Amino acid sequence: MLELRTWREKTGFIVILAVIAFFLFFPVYWALSSAFKANAELYLSDPTFVPHRPYLGHFINAVTQGPLVLQLGNSLVTSTASALLNAVLAALAGYSFAKFDYPVKRPLMLLILSAQMFPFGVLLISIYPMLQSVGLLDTRIGLTISYIVFALPVSTYMMYSYFKQVPNELIEAAKVDGASNMRIFRRIVMPISLPAFITVALYAFMWSWNDLLYSMTLITSDDKRTVGPGLLLRYINENNADWGGAMAASFIVAAPIILVFSVLQKQFIGGVTSGAVK
Amino acid sequence: MDMATTHQLGTKNPARRKPGYLKRSDRRFAYLILAPAMIAFLVMVAWPFVDAMSMAFYQYTIYDTEPIFIGFENFETILTDPYVLGSWVTTAIFVAGTTLLTMFLGLSWALLMYQDFRGRAVFRTMTLLPWILPSTVSAFIWAWMLNGRYGIVNVLLMDVGAVNSPVQFLSNDVGAMMAVILTRTWISIPLFMSFFLAGLQSMEFQQIEAARIDGAGNLKIVRRLILPHLKPVFLVTGALGMIGNLQQFDIIFALTGGGPVRATSVLSIEVYKQAFQNWNLGMASAIGVLWVFTLMPIVIFYLRSLFRED
Repeated sequence: MLELRTWREKTGFIVILAVIAFFLFFPVYWALSSAFKANAELYLSDPTFVPHRPYLGHFINAVTQGPLVLQLGNSLVTSTASALLNAVLAALAGYSFAKFDYPVKRPLMLLILSAQMFPFGVLLISIYPMLQSVGLLDTRIGLTISYIVFALPVSTYMMYSYFKQVPNELIEAAKVDGASNMRIFRRIVMPISLPAFITVALYAFMWSWNDLLYSMTLITSDDKRTVGPGLLLRYINENNADWGGAMAASFIVAAPIILVFSVLQKQFIGGVTSGAVK
Repeated sequence: MDMATTHQLGTKNPARRKPGYLKRSDRRFAYLILAPAMIAFLVMVAWPFVDAMSMAFYQYTIYDTEPIFIGFENFETILTDPYVLGSWVTTAIFVAGTTLLTMFLGLSWALLMYQDFRGRAVFRTMTLLPWILPSTVSAFIWAWMLNGRYGIVNVLLMDVGAVNSPVQFLSNDVGAMMAVILTRTWISIPLFMSFFLAGLQSMEFQQIEAARIDGAGNLKIVRRLILPHLKPVFLVTGALGMIGNLQQFDIIFALTGGGPVRATSVLSIEVYKQAFQNWNLGMASAIGVLWVFTLMPIVIFYLRSLFRED
């Protein structure tokens, strides 16, 4: 904590705070404000800061015209499934790495972590024909499985960091009482690791919900499309840009992730920072 | 028998024993629970990586029924292709610009959020917003702000008299590069701020107090105490930022599509276009190899700093 004593220091503090805060938050406010402006007000050469007459037309159009609702459903299914898949795999592997000793442990951990060296775009070159050959191209299952690529390595490491902090005595005491490894994991380890499990699941959910590259490439039918490519296809149109619609649809797409996050944010940011910087 | 040995081990000075059990049945269990993630990882990450890398030695386009081995031909092509090398430079500019700007603003914001003032909690929570928005949404927000006709950025620039006519940010080279760097920085500040704030919160309060009693001013405290203390955080966030920005595709694709012409065509865009627009998988893989070799030293550096603490 620094002490701001002089008038100059206090002013400096407030000015810098205002500048960065403006940069961080104004774009979100401006997008939201634009979403509530009718076109006549949206395209003024001297724009209004607050919508004069809040207009809901863009939101209504975004939902009732076009496939946004269907795409939200698709995103929800693939993101939830990949979040759970990722968290279960990461929890099991993280526990194995943290609490057991075996010869190949260290090399395997290094291999999983070094996966950050494999760019997602490069993996896709091979994942595409692979999914094609097993008939999972253009399916939500194929997309869900391919999302393992994004979050599994980091999630495994996050779970490992978390399990390392669980005292061994807890496990050893249960062992002495004759509990099997499986029972210890289910009855003792899982319940206390629920916060970490949720953090990892949310991390994976965020990756999948926000993804553009994989969903754009691996899904080709309109009825299976997810929100990212859906937005892009609908609103990126050189000649006839519908900015009000784009902003309204953007907020509808962002709403679920903001909602989930506002409930779990404290937990989450701690998990992510400790996973990367200890 | 099993239980008896465990019991004995458990009573023998547990503090001196290594974590984990080395008994056969335990090891089996450890392998069992590791297997699902390992299989998923090998099938979806490790194998595709090896496969994609090896594809670089083949000619495999939409006209080929199967890959034809051609040795180093693809590499000869890309290393003499000015576009590919240009794309490497574009990537370097994008990564360096974004990482440096994000670190500077992330650190500044963390220092502000480290202060005690009313409303700090609200600021801290809201800070995460740009980071959690879907990439398409962030790209839309900035495309609208930077719009060459109705964009608020142009309105503000003209109001203060900085420019006479609207700047067409997304349709000129420098403007487009600035736009993608700005957008990506905006998205990454929250995460960097969190890292720096975690580093600041681990500081000894007495140190700062002692320096203050010695009459050190705020600038001196930041320079002499806080920045040296944050050195490890700088290294890790720098590495993570570079890795993340080298991987970046979504924002650039949604905002500029790699354009205008090729001004923002970084390696990720280049690979995507070769693979899924030209359907030339061999060439895409060769560019991918160049991309991986660019990433590798940074990832190795990052992993070493991570494992050194273990």
